[in-house]
Amino acid sequence: MNVGLMKTKAEQAFTESFDAVAAKLPGGEAVRELRRRAIGTFAALGLPHRRVEEWKYTDLRSVLKEAFAPAVGKAATPSEADLNAALGPLAALDVYRVVVIDGAFNAGLSTAQLPEGLAVKPLSAALAESPEAGESIVGMKRDQDPIEALNSAFATDGAVVRVADGAELDKPLLLVFARASAERKSITTRNVVSIGKGAKVTLVEAFVPLAGSADEDQHNAATEIVVGEGAAVTHVKAIVENGKAVHLGSATAEIGADATYRAFQLTAGPGLARNQIFVKFTGEGGKLDCSGSFLAANNEHIDTTLVVDHAVPHCESRELYKGVLDGRGRGIFQGKVIVQPGAQKTDGKQMAQALMLSPDAEFDSKPELEIYADDVICGHGSTAAEIDPEHIFYCKSRGIPEAEARALLIEAFVGEAMEKVEDEPVREALMETARVWLNKRTAS
Amino acid sequence: MLEIRNLHVKIADEDTMILKGVDLVIPKGEVHAIMGPNGSGKSTLAYVLAGREDYEVTEGEILWNGENLLEMEPDERAAKGVFLAFQYPMEIPGVAGLTFLRTALNALRKRREQPELTTPEFMKLVRERAAKLNIDVEMLKRPVNVGFSGGEKKRSEILQMALLEPSLCVLDETDSGLDIDALRIVADGVNALRSPDRAMLVITHYQRLLNYIVPDKVHVLAYGRIQRTGDKELAVELERSGYAEFTKAA
Repeated sequence: MNVGLMKTKAEQAFTESFDAVAAKLPGGEAVRELRRRAIGTFAALGLPHRRVEEWKYTDLRSVLKEAFAPAVGKAATPSEADLNAALGPLAALDVYRVVVIDGAFNAGLSTAQLPEGLAVKPLSAALAESPEAGESIVGMKRDQDPIEALNSAFATDGAVVRVADGAELDKPLLLVFARASAERKSITTRNVVSIGKGAKVTLVEAFVPLAGSADEDQHNAATEIVVGEGAAVTHVKAIVENGKAVHLGSATAEIGADATYRAFQLTAGPGLARNQIFVKFTGEGGKLDCSGSFLAANNEHIDTTLVVDHAVPHCESRELYKGVLDGRGRGIFQGKVIVQPGAQKTDGKQMAQALMLSPDAEFDSKPELEIYADDVICGHGSTAAEIDPEHIFYCKSRGIPEAEARALLIEAFVGEAMEKVEDEPVREALMETARVWLNKRTAS
Repeated sequence: MLEIRNLHVKIADEDTMILKGVDLVIPKGEVHAIMGPNGSGKSTLAYVLAGREDYEVTEGEILWNGENLLEMEPDERAAKGVFLAFQYPMEIPGVAGLTFLRTALNALRKRREQPELTTPEFMKLVRERAAKLNIDVEMLKRPVNVGFSGGEKKRSEILQMALLEPSLCVLDETDSGLDIDALRIVADGVNALRSPDRAMLVITHYQRLLNYIVPDKVHVLAYGRIQRTGDKELAVELERSGYAEFTKAA
């Protein structure tokens, strides 16, 4: 693939650190073999760069200058108060918590008693208990994805979640991934989620830094989710960072017949984030709503890349992304919708919009429709605009000072995407999180 | 008291003068109407009072209670009691009407050194004022003016006015796009606000509105100047004769 390309320092560091930590990673020999294969795949592919179409705007090869030492083994245990402070507005949510600190499951901070129908096992424990399940836990779903390969190779922990058929969770399940280490680390986590037929679940993943943690870290986070027939799942991911951290996220979802999968990502302020989301409809009548807000200031860079595979007929997909870009902040949206031959009556709509608060901000939006069926409705749109001065004048004419008017209008813009989150407390907590970020952005 | 003296205004970045020496005085407690042909500068005058940026005042002054409005930002003017009911009220996607009203009201209260209203206090006030204007509070949960009919937008402007309780009300063609029933509701809303402490400037193209909001004085604005001033009978006369006299005059 990369014939002629020299290995970068970061690429070398990843392969070398694998050799150093492989023996300490969870899982028996079968799992280790899977990991070896994965690092081999990564070594062959290298870090993606701009000549790889899917990475056109996020040239990891040049941006990722080094790979930090992998976070392996025991991690610090912060106090619950410190964890809540890191979670900010998300801390007040009434949820079942699963807490992972620096890539290690923390039983003390996690909810001990889960309701009937919900089973959560730390990934490390699942790998240790049943080696034969390794393939389904850390095996690669896409064999040509270097980021997923790194995840398979290094994943230390995460949540293996199983929701029973027909279960309706009374509270959301919150998976907290906090970083505590004062040293810069490379953290790798993976969740494997299986939602039973007809189940109703809200799953929230939160990625936050604890006070005193290093400015930078690298987090490779993967979540695989299988949504059973007729199930309804809301899957929220919130990345709330401080301007320097690197987040490489991969989500893979399979939507069963008549199931609804609503995904939402709030990405606020990592230095570099890639949210790549791969969704496949596996049964007719499935519905997808994949939306998000991306907030970038300074030199922050947030890339959302979706691939929606309409493999079967009669499915519906909706995407709405709204970003606020300030300073030299950069937002990227790539939305690929594939309508397979025979996937008739597909209904797909996509919209990506950016609010540009600075002349140096950049928004790159690339829809890709690959349609191989003839009876389908597919549409896409994209806009990039400044705050409408007429709107500001209207607010000011009613006595609202300019700064407050701008904040109100920016919030409204973000809020339109947040509306997609149906769970009200979760939506409010996300909105408040965005508000905190928006108020803070001018300070740095 | 509103005092406009020798006001000259052009569109910023353009040379054409729109207002060429407007003189107008409205004492507190009075309602004045400005009528005039299309393109005479009526809306320009309204926007300049509110402080829209696209215009440049090249000469003259506007004093409200002795203070120079032209030196103030639009929000400072609002704090001093200036309110413009827009001819084309803005749609603001994403901002719920109630949020907008509450933000505006509390911003003004803060500047006037009054305590902010609590949610129940605010809701009670909105319900009461909205009911008088035949506005369903449910409608105010939707984004400001988005998807409203022309009449609904105008009523929502008057509701804002009723809540913010300005002391200088400028109504720019509030009658346009209203059917007779809506016109009556809007006029009742405006009349309810008439008070000895409040000055009003009603801009309209047609006399019809002035049957409902009876002015103390009527001014004819044409070619950028006040051409004639009279009492409410002037409006009736204009309805008969039209603006031909003024379009030929200058």
